[in-house]
Amino acid sequence: MAPTVSAKAGDTSGHDWDRMMAAALVGDANAYRTLLAELALWLRRYYARRLPPSMTEDAVQDVLLAIHEKRHTYDPARPFGPWLAAIARYKWIDRLRSLKTDAAEPLDENIGVPDHGDAVIAGSTFQQLLAALKPPQAEAIRLVKLEGYSVEEASRATGQSVSLVKVNIHRGLKRLADIIRAAADAD
Amino acid sequence: MRTESLVDRLSQDLRPVRPRSIVREALLLLLLAVVEVAAFLGVGFMRPDMPVAMGAPSFWWKLTSMGLIAVMGAGVAILSADPVRSPRRGLRWILVCIVAILASGWLIDAAGSGIADLVRRLDWTQGLRCVWKMVVLSIPPAIALGVLIRRGAPTDRAGTALAAGLSCAAWGAFVFVFACPSDDPLYIAVWYTVGCAIVTILGRTTLIRLARW
Repeated sequence: MAPTVSAKAGDTSGHDWDRMMAAALVGDANAYRTLLAELALWLRRYYARRLPPSMTEDAVQDVLLAIHEKRHTYDPARPFGPWLAAIARYKWIDRLRSLKTDAAEPLDENIGVPDHGDAVIAGSTFQQLLAALKPPQAEAIRLVKLEGYSVEEASRATGQSVSLVKVNIHRGLKRLADIIRAAADAD
Repeated sequence: MRTESLVDRLSQDLRPVRPRSIVREALLLLLLAVVEVAAFLGVGFMRPDMPVAMGAPSFWWKLTSMGLIAVMGAGVAILSADPVRSPRRGLRWILVCIVAILASGWLIDAAGSGIADLVRRLDWTQGLRCVWKMVVLSIPPAIALGVLIRRGAPTDRAGTALAAGLSCAAWGAFVFVFACPSDDPLYIAVWYTVGCAIVTILGRTTLIRLARW
């Protein structure tokens, strides 16, 4: 079963974020700087559970830019949390889609890794999502996108043809995006 | 770039912005519709037998049908250009409306006799001209909705683009109703469906690219 993806953004500081964003809309740079700094922390935690660690910081910056460019779509009469969560989820799906085209780079086995915590959490959440796919799709995505195998190596390991591995990755990632979006609609 | 630097850069020289207003955007689209209808009629495209046509149920059927889909599609498109709103429920209602419109068209069309009569009623040369005009008339709303969607932040790009495509298609057909020489429900059901399908597919394909952010 897919994990719940509804984000409870701003649960603890929701009213502050509402107020700071409303102030930012009228040009209060200090409130905006404070807000973005707090959002960066929240977004790091959000993506740590949903993306491989190497993609987290790019996703955080992508969302901060989106918030800046689309801030006129925030209605100060409504809570800020759901607006933020919707953008974060949209960019998450976007990142998953980009996996279709981005080549996975195998990691150096001797690379220094200070903390495995986020990677383990991200991996477990991603594994739950993969469980919702057909086994050949999940296997192709796991090998090529998470473990850094080439498409040819994955083909040999799974017995699928090279083109079938590509098709399974494409369809599997599309299905993942649909699952996340469906969960968002259900919320 | 480090995230802290990005935060500094974004907050420097912050300018006030006017929050998006659904009412303002809806009024802009309404104004565009009025201008397009006025320009279309002003150029002299209005059918010459308009007073007679206004007495036929099928005239009002096609006018209200196209108007309803255009309004619903535009409404769903601009509402869903908001990160927290999904277009899916609105699209389901539009689908229900289209089915009801086609069904009511068949009810209005009580008569029917033979293939030759069918070919005569479909009048394909006139039908293709109608399709072409519908497509051209849907360009202004497509541009307007494209600008509004580009300015918004839709999170279901495919759904929003489809709603906008449907709206453009029905909008073009709505304006064309004032010039359309036929009130035959069969003709309308076939050629309006062809015209609307072309615009919907083109609109959905184009607008989904503009919806990316």
